[in-house]
Amino acid sequence: MALFKLHVPILDDIKTKGWRSALVATVDQTVERITAGINVGEIRSILRGDAPQRPNPRVKPHADGFWMHMRPTFFHEQVMSLYPTFRLGWLTTYMLVFETITGLFLMLWYTPSPDIAYTNMLSLLSNVPFGLFMRDLHRLGAELMVMLVLLHMLRTFVTGSYKKPRQFTWFTGGVLLLLTLFLSFSGYLLPWDQLALWAVTIGASMAEATPVVGREVNLLVRGGADIGANGLLRFYLLHVFALPLIAFIFVGVHYYKVIIHGHSLPPGAEKVGEDTARKVPMERRMYFLPDVMTRELFWTVGWLALMVFMVTWGGWHAPLEPHADSQITPLHTTAPWYFLWLQGMLKLGDKVFFGVILPGILSGLLFVMPYLEVGPSRRYADRRVGLSIAALTVVIMSLLTFMGTPYYGVSSSPDQEVLTTLAPQTHPGLLRGTAYDELPVGDWVASGWNNAPSQGLQAVLQLYNKEIERYSDELVNAKGKMSITEIQAGLKQVTMQLEWEDNGAQASEPVIVYLHRDSGYEH
Amino acid sequence: MVTRVALGTVFMVATLMIVSFTAIDEPARMAKFESGYEGRSVEAGAALYANNCATCHGPDGKGIAGRAPALNVADLYNGTRFREMGWGGTTRDYVYGAIASGRPRASAAFAEYPQRMPTWSREFGGPLRPDQVNNIVDFVMNWEETALLETVAEKPSDFVSVGLDLKDPVLPAGDVARGEKLTQTYGCVACHMNPDMNVAPGPGWPAKYYSGGVSIAERAATRFTAADYTGKATSAEEYLRESIVQTNAYIVPTYAANIMPVIYGEQMAAQDLADVIAYLQTIE
Repeated sequence: MALFKLHVPILDDIKTKGWRSALVATVDQTVERITAGINVGEIRSILRGDAPQRPNPRVKPHADGFWMHMRPTFFHEQVMSLYPTFRLGWLTTYMLVFETITGLFLMLWYTPSPDIAYTNMLSLLSNVPFGLFMRDLHRLGAELMVMLVLLHMLRTFVTGSYKKPRQFTWFTGGVLLLLTLFLSFSGYLLPWDQLALWAVTIGASMAEATPVVGREVNLLVRGGADIGANGLLRFYLLHVFALPLIAFIFVGVHYYKVIIHGHSLPPGAEKVGEDTARKVPMERRMYFLPDVMTRELFWTVGWLALMVFMVTWGGWHAPLEPHADSQITPLHTTAPWYFLWLQGMLKLGDKVFFGVILPGILSGLLFVMPYLEVGPSRRYADRRVGLSIAALTVVIMSLLTFMGTPYYGVSSSPDQEVLTTLAPQTHPGLLRGTAYDELPVGDWVASGWNNAPSQGLQAVLQLYNKEIERYSDELVNAKGKMSITEIQAGLKQVTMQLEWEDNGAQASEPVIVYLHRDSGYEH
Repeated sequence: MVTRVALGTVFMVATLMIVSFTAIDEPARMAKFESGYEGRSVEAGAALYANNCATCHGPDGKGIAGRAPALNVADLYNGTRFREMGWGGTTRDYVYGAIASGRPRASAAFAEYPQRMPTWSREFGGPLRPDQVNNIVDFVMNWEETALLETVAEKPSDFVSVGLDLKDPVLPAGDVARGEKLTQTYGCVACHMNPDMNVAPGPGWPAKYYSGGVSIAERAATRFTAADYTGKATSAEEYLRESIVQTNAYIVPTYAANIMPVIYGEQMAAQDLADVIAYLQTIE
């Protein structure tokens, strides 16, 4: 007596049809289940480039499958070329996912404690295969994502895609911009090197100028009087949990709104005031499978190849400065580049007005702009004022960003500026990047650069001379001295001192740089 | 669509190739990075040394008479210095420990440097982070190569350990006072001069610190003829020598084996051993 019957369907098929066609049928069925509706025959038809049958079987994954359910079954063919979207929306979403994946890898090797974080970074880069690769990709991805988000915002403005009924989509996009900036800012602190600590200290102290809530919000975010163990932990939790969670939620909302309204057509393609994005005539439809999917995959793979190239043969590497030291502020330290405009604004005047009130008003206007700018036409010819304002904003932001750099309005003494150009405190610089053997022992003078015994020394002395000449009004009869000695096996000491005349002989504080043979700054 | 698929495949293959090349390079790159950051550690250590240590130890580590001993000398790296202290770890550990905790009192071995060495590591209340102390250690250890090559003008390092044998080499005459000092620097007093018999890991030397009420000098004279004696000594001096260099040859009743360090045969010179034995034989 059988206790149970084991039913294996393929055995039945083999009995009736023979094993070969039974196998083919099983494979076909499995493929159809995995793809939520596309069997092998249909795949072959897609790859051949056949037009779809009616009713179109290629829309089944959108109805039956989870991954495809939010993707539209067709797009208007006019939004599928490079213009008008430039694929920026797709790329920014891809960057978010990419950052999550590379971030997960990095999370394995990192502990958010000031005692351990820097050691973890060294360990990641010296003991973990692909550690440098993943870190560089994550950093590059972050910088590119901020740029892509800004470009996407600019494109959306220029094509007028924020107008009715897409105002809220723009609003959620603004939220995503803020989230991207804060994700980048919170991640900036995690390596716990000088660059991280001071860039974030600057950013946080800018926020502290906010009236009423500034101090309290800052205390909350730092968990203490200055950025230490509590601050690092909070920034870490924001960076890996809270902000990504909110970002994914808002991406969901943002994308949902994009889909239900449909991608806006190029401005010239519709009558003024009309929004026909959802009503796509049959002959203008481009179906997701295969045309849109192949385009998306192509851009994904292409962008990945670009990033991988940039961090390997392209030579782009995330920096790692010395261990964070709250007692030493590197001269010319700056906020991360996407906050340089704020730093530039602060150089204009009162920190509360230029640091908080004005940026606050401008950002607020950015969010609610679609509810204020309600002109019906998206055509470029009808939006000259708006487009001019956009162009002006780009110019002004670039100017403010430049003003945020140390090149503008930073007042330290000319001798310090000269010596800091040679031995910067925020990055290795030319002197440290010179090969060890190209710095011969001896006493050298900047003006003698042409007779330097090696290429490397010549480049350094030439820069020294150039900088002295730049400040020749203040540094009269200046003599730039550099003496190099070898104080240990493989360790050289470079002492630089400037002497000049200004109501009598003057001399700068000597600046001493130690260089070891193996330290590898030239990479 | 064909172009897109083809180009996409090309990109994918290119990415995989670049990743494979990276994989092949990884071990070399990681090793280079490691020596890179060790180099940077020496650089940082040089700056810290110049600001914190040079005033006492001299800018090139040659020491300042009456202030602080030289570091850039062979006997720091060949173990001479820490052998006198009975240090069990590496030279690096010795240097780290000295910098991190400082030297609270002038040690017997360095009586000519009366001022204390400050405590440097934050772990023990000093001003520097542990990674900064590590930087300084890397800088000091970077003198090792050149220091060991130096021909030292003063006494050459001709240390010969006394070894484990009871008769060979024949011990010279012992200096009681020096022996007493050595029992401190070798750390013997920590276990053998503890008034509390219940806590002391080893038998107390003075009679009043030993449960049997006799001093080490008397015990050495009689024990090697006892019925339960498992060692090979044939005189009081040999008994004391055996208990120092072959610690497990005979364990005094109520005490445990493998507690006393077995390092003294290697760390002590013949004269040291002779001095200690001479001192022990004077204890009452």
